[in-house]
This record gives sequence, C-alpha cells and structure tokens, in this order.
Amino acid sequence: MTLSEIANGKLAPRTGIRLDNISKRYGDHLVIDDVSLNVEPGTVTALIGPSGAGKSTFLRCINLLERPDSGTIQVDHHTIEPGKVINAKDLAALRRTVGMVFQSFNLFPHMSALKNISFPQQKVLGRSKEEADERALQLLERVGLKDKAHQHPGRCSGGQQQRIAIARALALDPSIMLFDEPTSALDPEVGLEVLAVMRELADDGMTMIVVTHEMQFARDVSDTLVVMADCRIIEQGDPRAIMSDPQEDRTRRFLRAVLER
Amino acid sequence: MTWLIEWAGYLPQLMSGLGVSLMIAGVSIVAGYPLGLVLSVMVQHRNLAVRTLGLAVVEIGRGAPALVILYLFYYGLPKFGIAFESITAACLALIWNSAAYSSEIMRAGMQSVARGQHEASAALGLSRGHTFFRVIMPQGMRSAIPGLMGVAIQMFQGTSLAYAIAVPELMKSAYNIGSQDFNYLQIFALAGICYAAISMPATWITVYFEKRLARHT
Repeated sequence: MTLSEIANGKLAPRTGIRLDNISKRYGDHLVIDDVSLNVEPGTVTALIGPSGAGKSTFLRCINLLERPDSGTIQVDHHTIEPGKVINAKDLAALRRTVGMVFQSFNLFPHMSALKNISFPQQKVLGRSKEEADERALQLLERVGLKDKAHQHPGRCSGGQQQRIAIARALALDPSIMLFDEPTSALDPEVGLEVLAVMRELADDGMTMIVVTHEMQFARDVSDTLVVMADCRIIEQGDPRAIMSDPQEDRTRRFLRAVLER
Repeated sequence: MTWLIEWAGYLPQLMSGLGVSLMIAGVSIVAGYPLGLVLSVMVQHRNLAVRTLGLAVVEIGRGAPALVILYLFYYGLPKFGIAFESITAACLALIWNSAAYSSEIMRAGMQSVARGQHEASAALGLSRGHTFFRVIMPQGMRSAIPGLMGVAIQMFQGTSLAYAIAVPELMKSAYNIGSQDFNYLQIFALAGICYAAISMPATWITVYFEKRLARHT
C-alpha cells in the first residue's frame, strides 16, 4: 500500500484549494499583499523565495494559523472569508482537510511517537484507541520508524521526529498537506530521508504545498513553482521553465543566489 | 554536656509540635495545589468574569501577608457567625496562601510551553479543551515542579505563623518549653534546627529536580 492509502484506508478524494486576494498585515506592516493561488487536486506546489517574502505567513494563512485580514479560501465546498467571522464548523472542516508539517516538528514531547500519532485521531476523528494505534503503527512502519513507536520525541533524531510529524498529520486523513520548510532545521543528509517520504507522498497523488529552500526537490517533485518576494507572488509556473529561464529580474537574482551556492 | 541531655528532654514536646506543623503544611499543599490549578486555569480563561474572579482570589492570596489572612479567618469571620478552631483557621489561611502562590507558578509553567505546541494542536484540529488539558498542561506542570516544591517549603515554614492564634505547632511548643525555665535561646535554636532539618533536605531535592528537568527539556 502507498502512504496515502494507508493514511486514508482508501484513496482520499483528491481536493484542491483556492485562495483569492489574501492580504495580511501586522499593524502598519504589510506581510501578504493580495496573493491569489489555485492549487489543483493531486498536484505539488513549491513555494520559494527570499526570506521575509511572506512564504511561511502565506502558508500559515491557508489553515488559518494566521488570520488573513481579507480574501477568501475555498476548499472542499467550504468557502471561508477570514476577514469576517469564521464559524467553528468551517474552521474545523478546514483543519480536518488540511494537514501541516512544521519546520520545528512540534511533536508533543510528553507523548511517545505512537501516542503523538494516535491521540489526535481519537480526539479529532473519534477513532477508538485500538483503531488509532493500529493506524499509527502502519504509518510509523511506512516512514521507517516502527521501532521508535514507544520512544519519546526527545529520543529521536531531527529527521526521525519530522517523519513522525508527517505520520501524525497523515493519520487524520488530510486531502491537502502543507509543509513549512520541513528540512530547514535538519542536516542536509538527514533532510534527505524526510524528502524521500515527501516524494513518496507526492507520487501517491497527495495535494501538497511546500515552502522550501530545497531547489532540487522543487524542480524534480513539484508541478508548480511559485516564487514569492516582497509580500507577493512575482512568478509562477512550470518549475523547470522558471529555473532555466526566469522572467522576473527578482527571481533571477534569487535563483542565482541559491543555485550558485 | 548537660545541655545535650536538656535538649533530649525537650524533644518529645517539640516533636509533637513538629507533627502539627507538618500536618498543617501537608493540608495546605494537598488542598492548596489542586485549588491553585483551578485558579491558574481561571486566570487564563477567555471569559472576563471567570478571569477577574480568579485574579482577585490569587492577588489577595499573594498580596496580603499570610498572618493577615490568618487573623481574618480566626478573629474576623466569627463576626459573621463563622467560627473556626484555631487549627482549622490556620489550615484555611495557608490553603489560600499556597493556592495563590502555586497557581502563579503553574500559570507561568503553562505559558512557558512553546508556541509551536499550540500551533501544532490547532493545525491538527484539536479542541481548546484537549489542547489545554492534554498538550499544554502536562508540559507546563512539568516545568512548574521545582517552583511548586519551593512553595511547599515556604508553606512548611509559614506554619510558624499559626503560633499567633495558639495552634500547638512547633513554635508554640518551643515557646511553652522556653517559658517554663526561660531557656529561650536553646529552645528556639533547637526549633530552628527542626525547621531546617525538614527544609534543607527538601531544598536539596528541589535543586536535584531542577537539574534533572533542565537536562530533559
């Protein structure tokens, strides 16, 4: 079975997500300036750009960890307007549909790897402990960490923790996965094992939005490359096309900086 | 060496006083900490009325000297027809005291939990209740342990205030012995040693826990 099949029991209905005119400011400081993005079901979107461009903030707006000041989010027949009052049902539906993986893993340090993955299933989806544990073990096996099931995160390496975090998100059957610089806190070598898991997930047809500095991953795995700079999207399209022939001067400068490193 | 024999003679009476002191401290901790937990939740509550009530209880408990609260319970409340035994009044006053101080330590512990823990919980779709009681509280309480042990030591030493309302605790026992033959210096020194004999090892244990917890986080 593939990763997402294990995650879903069956193949999840593929879901895309559409964001329109998202803006976000902190006080007088504009961080997202009228950004729109349409992600087709089953595709991988890589979000790159210089730091401070607003990539992470934008990603965090998608599942409303950051509340945009205006714009609309459409996912799975739900339309959410963050500028207005969000009802609890829409928020719950959004969070259920969208899974997220953080740069700093954010596993629960007081729970074993198994419990990290099993506990949210029981609370959010109402699964029985047996069912949730079984699902958790399957996922742990799939990310190559079955032997770590009863270890606490503090006993695991960064790469292992991140794979556990991916398993934790997948256990809730999301149809879209957000990755916020999932390998930035890891040694390059360790990052590879995380990228391998993500690549597999992409091959399974998971809809993914990935903020990353891993240019090779962006080129090889993503279907769409989105370049953000100065709080907005400056260029998007086929990753190979953009990387070999960027249209914007700002993109060219950024790519030169990362590729010639 | 005669003083040593004298000291040995004082011990039984002192020990019974020490027993009462430990009992009062124990009650104030066993009842005060759960109350402190409730208060720490209240002061973080979204509802303004709940938060204000919690804050009032905490700030009075921390702001007023324990002796004042003790007197209010013992001498003040009978005015409203509520009269307590001296030992009950002492326990109640110290429960309030320990609840107030422990609640602030627990609150600080919970607020020190990394922001990422809240974010991960939110992203997973966990409810506020589950996030608080299953994710934040267990971690916050862990880092509160050394502070709570420190408050426990303070509570034990605070039981000496109960002397002021004639509770037969360690200080009162010492005073009684001293007033028999006016050997105050020796007997209060001995009482001090009794307090230290409990407090110092407790402090060492606290330091040990502090180090242990620091290593594992």
